[in-house]
Amino acid sequence: MRKTFIILSAFVAGFVAAFAETPQALIARAAVAKSEQAQGAILTELMGNADESILPLFDAWRKDRLFLYENPGKPTVAVLLEGAKDAQGAQTAVDVATGKALAVRLAADDLNAAAHSANLRRIMKAILDLTDLSSANPAKKLGAIAAIGQGQQIEKLPALEKRLAVETDPQAIKALREALALVRLRSPDAATKLAALKELESLQSLASTDFLKALIKDAEAAKDEKLLAAARSALQAVERHRTVVDFGGTMFRSLSLGSILIIVALGLAITFGLMGVINMAHGEMIAIGAYTTYVVQNLFANGLALSPFGFSVSIPGLHATGWWRESYFLFALPLSFLVAAGAGILLERGVIRFLYRRPLESLLATWGVSLLLQQLLRLTFGANNVQVGSPSFLSGNWIVGDVLLGWNRVFVIGFATLIVVGVWLVLTRTSVGLLIRSVTQNRTMAACMGVRTERVNMLTFALGSGLAGLAGAFLSQIGNVGPSLGQSYVVDSFMVVVVGGVGDLVGTVISGLGIGAFDQFTQQYSPAVAGALANVPFVGGALQNLAQDSAVFGKILVLCVIILFLQWRPSGLFAARSRSLD
Amino acid sequence: MSPTRITSLLSVGALALASLVSPARAEETVKVGVLHSLSGTMAISETSLRDVLLFTFDEINAKGGVLGKKIEPVVVDGASNWPLFAEKAKQLLEQDKVAVTFGCWTSVSRKSVLPVYEKNNGLLFYPVQYEGEEESKNVAYTAEAVNQQATPAVDYLLAQGVKKFYLLGSDYVYPQTTNLVLLEYLLSKGVPIENIGGGFRKDASGKIISAGKYTPFGHTDYQQIVAEIKQFSAGGGAAVVSTLNGDTNVPFFKEYAASGLTAESCPVVSFSISEDEFRGLPADKLVGQLGCWTYFQSIKSPANKKFVADFQAWLGKSTVPGIVKDGRVTCSPMVLSYDGVYLWKACVEKAGSFDVDKVREAWKSGVSFDGPGGKVTTQPNMHLTKNVFIGETKSDGQFKILKSFDNVYGEPWLKGKFKK
Repeated sequence: MRKTFIILSAFVAGFVAAFAETPQALIARAAVAKSEQAQGAILTELMGNADESILPLFDAWRKDRLFLYENPGKPTVAVLLEGAKDAQGAQTAVDVATGKALAVRLAADDLNAAAHSANLRRIMKAILDLTDLSSANPAKKLGAIAAIGQGQQIEKLPALEKRLAVETDPQAIKALREALALVRLRSPDAATKLAALKELESLQSLASTDFLKALIKDAEAAKDEKLLAAARSALQAVERHRTVVDFGGTMFRSLSLGSILIIVALGLAITFGLMGVINMAHGEMIAIGAYTTYVVQNLFANGLALSPFGFSVSIPGLHATGWWRESYFLFALPLSFLVAAGAGILLERGVIRFLYRRPLESLLATWGVSLLLQQLLRLTFGANNVQVGSPSFLSGNWIVGDVLLGWNRVFVIGFATLIVVGVWLVLTRTSVGLLIRSVTQNRTMAACMGVRTERVNMLTFALGSGLAGLAGAFLSQIGNVGPSLGQSYVVDSFMVVVVGGVGDLVGTVISGLGIGAFDQFTQQYSPAVAGALANVPFVGGALQNLAQDSAVFGKILVLCVIILFLQWRPSGLFAARSRSLD
Repeated sequence: MSPTRITSLLSVGALALASLVSPARAEETVKVGVLHSLSGTMAISETSLRDVLLFTFDEINAKGGVLGKKIEPVVVDGASNWPLFAEKAKQLLEQDKVAVTFGCWTSVSRKSVLPVYEKNNGLLFYPVQYEGEEESKNVAYTAEAVNQQATPAVDYLLAQGVKKFYLLGSDYVYPQTTNLVLLEYLLSKGVPIENIGGGFRKDASGKIISAGKYTPFGHTDYQQIVAEIKQFSAGGGAAVVSTLNGDTNVPFFKEYAASGLTAESCPVVSFSISEDEFRGLPADKLVGQLGCWTYFQSIKSPANKKFVADFQAWLGKSTVPGIVKDGRVTCSPMVLSYDGVYLWKACVEKAGSFDVDKVREAWKSGVSFDGPGGKVTTQPNMHLTKNVFIGETKSDGQFKILKSFDNVYGEPWLKGKFKK
């Protein structure tokens, strides 16, 4: 009896193998299908199939390496090109459906790659998602879990349950529970639905908002009170969680914007705050730092063509790739400091030292220098923005309790802390710092005591400019690098320094953080606040419309508050009290 | 013979001579105006249009010109200064007496010169995607109307299963108007209003006067907006419709990529990024994102291959001062400028005259030209019927064409047209 069963099952297996389409044949059939809809329908048949041959074929398809061999008079064949290229660029063509090589050799240039739209890729992804559930790559795995949850296909429940039983990573377990609950919302069984809602409530899943809202609508239509109550309570829990996430996110974004403001303003806090030079070319020092980063990046890659001068520069033999190439940024940081500091020394020696006691003239002169530098950058690197790539260690993110922490932002915050502490140490713990402080407090007295004030001035200005250069290296990671880069930051810098109080680093730090926080909180909460005030006569509607442009509104409010603040404290948060400054 | 008589005779002779010579000279050339910003913020984009126009004139002149006359370009610089555009337009029409002008990029520059063209009954060819709600008999709109860019793109996204749309744009007339039209269009397609993100502004009676999120030119901090999009798309099936202009795209897409959003989890379709803009954008951050234009350089037609090759060859030989020769690409506004010149030529030849009224009649009667982006046909409402393409960004800054809509009729009046 047992024997017959085995024979029978072997027979059935053989039968299936002989007549059912292999995944390869199915993919080949999809590749040559006429319409996108037909392709999608054929591929969908693969859903749930965990055959190992699928991934490499999909990869080839998505990377335009799956070709269509159009043989006149015969059906089109989907082929992969393998092996070495001969003199004509032709390779061995392997029929995808059968896995056998064709008689003809084909060249990639003569063939059309099988087309793939975003929709097809999404279907491929859905198929791979099921295989990706057990992927070793956590990001891939989480993406796959979320995609299955959003798909809400009840037939995928077993796959999720199986995975949950063996999963050990806490983040993946949470995602799996969320996905399971989302899929179960579609369950025909009322008790399962209620349990799923309880689960979503305890998970406080942000992704479930839309599904809960849809469910509430359905429940209202069906007058299912029990379901409605459960869904509403789940939605409430999610919304409560969202306010926490929004607050945490706003705090983080405030910190990161504040850090950027501190980084761009710190140099100015020294040149303007300590030395009293109204340096309008501060923005261009930032731009110099950013362009230095650009040059270093290109030197690490394939060299840099300076077309206006008709030659290109490169480091012979250095065509860095991979990790080594991405580390360019670590070299660019000190270099951008040094180059901008050098430019600062030239500026100080050439222009500013003649104008120390004439602030208005120094304003005009440095403004001229700023225009000059901008044009110089434009002539050298062109009027278009240049591209500075982000190394991979700056382009990921962490998600902590649904709050998104971008690595570039975390890096900015850490770096701002580092340079603030560094500058503070230099100013308070070194002999150079002592000289700088003495000269900035009372130049004449310091000179009487034998301090070479000229030299100290030069060094101080170089330090301020160098810090601006560092800021530029950073800004290249989050924004544009173009000749007018500096202009967009010079106003912000002055704002931070003036509010902080001229002459005090602590003031700069606090005002940078404060302005950053004020801006981000206005952006986040002004629509809500305006919404609450919507019924106030006359101003309600106007306020709501203003708050809709929250990005602009935040900026305007910041400026208004600063104007009012300076009425109240004209010399800023931390006013330096010194007779020589009066 | 008195000396006076001699002089008068001489002058008569000179006049006669002059009258013999000057008509002959005038018959040789026809003056054509080129009105673009060659300096200031818009120069980066508009200089490309000047280049392609000069190339087209050379191409036509090499084949004998228009009605036997060579085209003589009069190039003026609008300097990204809108009142100056109007002054330069006046100079072109009243002083140089040009037969036609090709020019303007921004809508505000077009609005600024419009009264000048209407007063002098001139003819302006306008080549850049715009918001519609305008139809002047003195402007030939070769540009994409909203239904030749925004609504086909949304159709495509809807067909791809997108259910939620986040509207984001730079704060000026084109994105504002386009998004209002899109809002009506999406509602008419059955997308519920809570699935349209970015927020709304309402007037006192509660009517929506602005849809979507707007940021000023030169905005750099997209943290909050990207966080909002991240939450908006958390449940899947969402897309961003972006009319962000120029270099604000850089901080936006850098932030977008850093937040873990991708073209697969939440695609962005941008209406203001063409191949030319790509020269200043981080292409690796935009791979897979969508664009929609009536031309892509990657179109595989013999006409386009010839156009691209001829333009590059012309650039190589060009002696125009300051022209950029390296890394040049072709894009939709350039091709619509090119098409415009040929359509004008066809209209002039059909009318048998350079007279603006007659040329306009020829345009309204329907004239076709097989351009690099396929066949374009003039319409009675001064717009163009043309093909629309949806493309996906590749890492080399070109687009892979995903879908095309053939012969889309250009319709400028779309507000209030789409009803549920």
